[in-house]
Amino acid sequence: MIRSPGRVTSRSDTLLFSACLLLAVGAIALPNRWSLPLATGVRETALLPLLWLQERAEEGRTSRARFQAIQAQRDSAVVAAAALPALEIENQRLRALLGLRDRSGFTTVPAEVLHQAAPTEGRTLLLGVGRGTGARIGDPVMAPEGLVGVVLSVGKQSTIAMTWAHPDFRVSAVSEDGSVLGIVAPSQNTEASEAFLEFRGVAYRDTVATGTLVVTSGLGGVFPKGIPVGRVAGIRAEQLGWERVYRLMPMVNPGHVGHVLIVRAPSGPEPVP
Amino acid sequence: MSPRRGDGRLYLGFVLLIALHFYVRPRLWDGRAAPDFLLLALMLVVIRTRPGVAAVAGLVVGLVNDVLTPASFGAGMLAHTIVAYLAAWGRAVFFPDNLLVNAGLFAGGVWLRNAIVLLASGTPGGQLAAGLLVWAPLQALSTAVAGLGLLLLFRDWFAIRIEA
Repeated sequence: MIRSPGRVTSRSDTLLFSACLLLAVGAIALPNRWSLPLATGVRETALLPLLWLQERAEEGRTSRARFQAIQAQRDSAVVAAAALPALEIENQRLRALLGLRDRSGFTTVPAEVLHQAAPTEGRTLLLGVGRGTGARIGDPVMAPEGLVGVVLSVGKQSTIAMTWAHPDFRVSAVSEDGSVLGIVAPSQNTEASEAFLEFRGVAYRDTVATGTLVVTSGLGGVFPKGIPVGRVAGIRAEQLGWERVYRLMPMVNPGHVGHVLIVRAPSGPEPVP
Repeated sequence: MSPRRGDGRLYLGFVLLIALHFYVRPRLWDGRAAPDFLLLALMLVVIRTRPGVAAVAGLVVGLVNDVLTPASFGAGMLAHTIVAYLAAWGRAVFFPDNLLVNAGLFAGGVWLRNAIVLLASGTPGGQLAAGLLVWAPLQALSTAVAGLGLLLLFRDWFAIRIEA
C-alpha cells in the first residue's frame, strides 16, 4: 500500500540502499569457492519449491511439444544401434590382436535444463538433477549434437553446468582425423555479437580445413575422447611463425538445449575442473 | 476496499506472477526475449513501497536470479537493487496509475537490469551491444506487454491506493 505522496525520502531509505549496494558489490567480489556453495545452499532450501515447479513445467512441455522430435531421434538411434554389436565384436577382436586393454566405457545421466530469464543465462545452465544421480563436479555435459560444458557445482536436487560460452571454459581438442591438437576456448573477440569458440595452440605448420570437425582429445582426464565440440569456420588469428587460432562454430547452442547428458566416468577420483 | 484486503490481493498477485515465471513461462516460451515475470512482480511491488524497502526487495530478487544463474554472482543483486530503488523513486516523479506509464516503467526496468548485469559480468563489446540493442529491448517489450495484459486483467489487484 502506497503512503501519502510528497514525503521526503528518509535517511533510512538511503542507508538501506547503500547497504544493499555494498552487499551486492561484496557478492560480486566473492571468489567462486565461496559463491558457488552459497548459491547451492539457497537453491537447495528456499528455492526448492520453485525449482520443483519449473521441473514439472519442463516435463510437461517435453511430454507434449517435443514428443515427436524425441520419437524421431529414438528411431534414428535404434537404426544406428543395430550395427553396433557387430562393430563391438570386431573392435574387441582387433584390440585383442594388438594387445590393447578394453576400452573404458562411461555411463550418462539424463538431465532437464531449467532455463532462466537472466541475460547471462547461456554461460551457466541449471540442471534438474542432483547428487543422488551420481553427478559430480567436473563431469562433462553433452547434448546429442556435441559438448555443452562441464559440471560446476552439484547440490542435492540441482546441478550447475558451466557451458563452453563461460570465459573460464577450456577443453583439449583434436581434429576429427586426429592429426591436429589444440585447446578450445570461448573467443575473446570483442566485436562478435554472439559467443563462439576458438581452436588455439595449433602449430603453424598444421593446417585445418574449413568445415573440419573438432572433437575432444581425451587428454587431461576430464572429457572423454571423441565428443564433437565444433566445426572450423576459418582462421581467426595467426601468430607469425608459430601458432594459428581457428574460429569454431559450436555444435550446441546452450541457450536452446532442452535436455543434456552428464557423462559419468566409470571410476576414479573426483577431477578438479 | 480496506487497505488490508488491497495488500492481500497485491501479494496474491505477486505469488501469481512467481507461478507464471516458474511454471507457465517454461511451458510456453523460455527464449532470451521471453517476458521476465519475476522482475515484473518486483516492479509491481516496489512502486508501492518506500525506496529503502524496494532496494531490499530488489536485493532478494537479485539473489534469486544469481542463485539460478551463477555465471556472475552478485551482478543480478546489484542490478535489481538499483532498478527497484529507481522504480520506487520514479513513483515520486510521476504517478504510475496510467497503463502506458506502467508499461514504460516495466520496459525501462528490464532494459536497465539487463544492461547492468551485462556490464557487471564483463560481457565483451560485441555481445554487450547485441544484448543492449537487440535482446534487452525485445525482452523489455515482451515484459511490458505481459505486464500490460496483467494490469488489464487484474487492475483492481494491482491498483495504487493512497492512504490518507
